[in-house]
Amino acid sequence: MFALSCAASRRHQGRPPWLLAVALAVTVPGCLLTACSAPSGSPHDRTPAASGRPAAAGGPAAPASRHSSALAVSLLSQAARAGIATSYQGQEIASRWGNSGETVLTSDIWHVSGGQTVTQTVAAGTYSSGPYLSSDTDGQAPEGVLGVTMPLVRLLETHYAVVYAGPGTVVGDNNRPAQVVEAWRDDGTLAARFWLDDATKLPLEREVFDPAAHLISEDVFFNVQFGNPAPVHPPAGGVADPQGPWTDPLSPGQLLELRAHGWLVPVGLPGGLSLFAGAQTQTSNGTALDLGYSDGLSVVSVFEQRGDLAAGLSGWQKTTVDGHVIYAAVPDQRSLTWSSRGMVYTVMADAPTQTVYAAVGALPHDSPPGFWKRLSRGFARLASWVNPFR
Amino acid sequence: MSHLGDRLSALVDGELTGAERDRASAHLAGCAQCRAEVKQLRALKQKLRSLLDGAPAEAAMTRRLISMTGPGGPLPPRRRLLRVMPGGRAEPGQGLHTSTRPGTRRPRPARRRYLFLGTVSLVVGLGTAAFTAGGGGQAVPGPRITPPVELYSVQHAIITGEVPFSGPSSRPGSHAFAPGSGAPQP
Repeated sequence: MFALSCAASRRHQGRPPWLLAVALAVTVPGCLLTACSAPSGSPHDRTPAASGRPAAAGGPAAPASRHSSALAVSLLSQAARAGIATSYQGQEIASRWGNSGETVLTSDIWHVSGGQTVTQTVAAGTYSSGPYLSSDTDGQAPEGVLGVTMPLVRLLETHYAVVYAGPGTVVGDNNRPAQVVEAWRDDGTLAARFWLDDATKLPLEREVFDPAAHLISEDVFFNVQFGNPAPVHPPAGGVADPQGPWTDPLSPGQLLELRAHGWLVPVGLPGGLSLFAGAQTQTSNGTALDLGYSDGLSVVSVFEQRGDLAAGLSGWQKTTVDGHVIYAAVPDQRSLTWSSRGMVYTVMADAPTQTVYAAVGALPHDSPPGFWKRLSRGFARLASWVNPFR
Repeated sequence: MSHLGDRLSALVDGELTGAERDRASAHLAGCAQCRAEVKQLRALKQKLRSLLDGAPAEAAMTRRLISMTGPGGPLPPRRRLLRVMPGGRAEPGQGLHTSTRPGTRRPRPARRRYLFLGTVSLVVGLGTAAFTAGGGGQAVPGPRITPPVELYSVQHAIITGEVPFSGPSSRPGSHAFAPGSGAPQP
């Protein structure tokens, strides 16, 4: 709030004096009040213009509504293509803030133009580190591009006002020149900000804010080197999925066909999340289906697998979401799972907590049985236990 | 001279008859020792009789025992809620009698009471056990699944264009890789 108000005062420079006076009258007390009450140094409390980022904070004041600019959309599209076509390597720091606190992941990334991406986690807190070869064998869906892919850019343009915020620099990478693109919500709040390399348009940094202007994720790509110094040699046995790769993205027709086979395939989830991806893979317990939902920024993956949750899940703790008892993976609680009507649902999300909870609430859950139903079920179980011919 | 010996007590108790009593009386007339013994026996007998005459009657003993039950005195006698009169008419405040003969009472139905309590206990116990056993989710045929988080995380990273947060824990063929060093080395 402090930074937002101060930024608003800065953005009004050059406007008529009376407008500046009104802005100061509103923002200065807010700045003082918030500065006295808000704890300092919490990254999660960083607001859109307080991240210490240059240039991008100097944009115009946020109006009630914005419209996407062709330049901004074009820049993001170029960035998505650059993530595939450009050869690069560097380090990426991904930070997430949620109910369980802050989670930071540092990875080395190596990508060959049109080829594979290799990711190696070098510091991940509670996570283990190990080399990891991307499942993206054709280079069409590279990882580590800060969420700037063609499908997500199209969704972003649909759900947000994508605007060009001017030139800037990436502080974490020797002030590398960048172009800044912002995504704004309809209510006039900033949702995300992208720094694109000025020369290659490769995404170098991204910040995502929730509707309350809290920073919920930050990805920074630094020590970036461009070029193609050597071809990738996939490590022996170092495939991403020992149980078999995921299929190519399913077409809309294939996804609809899955419904006929008993799979749950909603076309959307609460929060304006649209179904934009689907894939299947084989596990030791049968087929697993992944459905990807997004609005361009928030991404929720819903995994389905036939069966029932195993008893005594290790590494999961019971919690309640929207009145439903589910299990959350420890320690970061980014994964949620439960079973209902013979299907195990697992949700992974990069989205605000409210969005994740709304998505979980919209999926099937078993309601607790009534008294008589529970009693009859119990008698049936007791009878089965003492049945000698069972 | 021989004294009366054992016949003394028989004489005192009045058990000697006829000539035997006459001979004992004649002996007593001339024997001071036996007269003294008879006198002592009669005095002893008199004391014992006086003790027996002074013992409390059964009712008095019962009252004494009841008075020892503590403060508040004895409990009032139980009152029956209903008594069926010989003509089949019920009278409140009296006992329940099913006999047609006034003044006679059939034994209490203890067996029926135990049967009732046993049935209630069985129903409650079985109901509780069934309610407990009926908890939890409906048993579903099929595999018991522990979500493969790493597998899912990889796919999630693919569609988000981000680095997988729950990276594979132990990949075979690990290789070192550092930025600027080119391709990963096996």
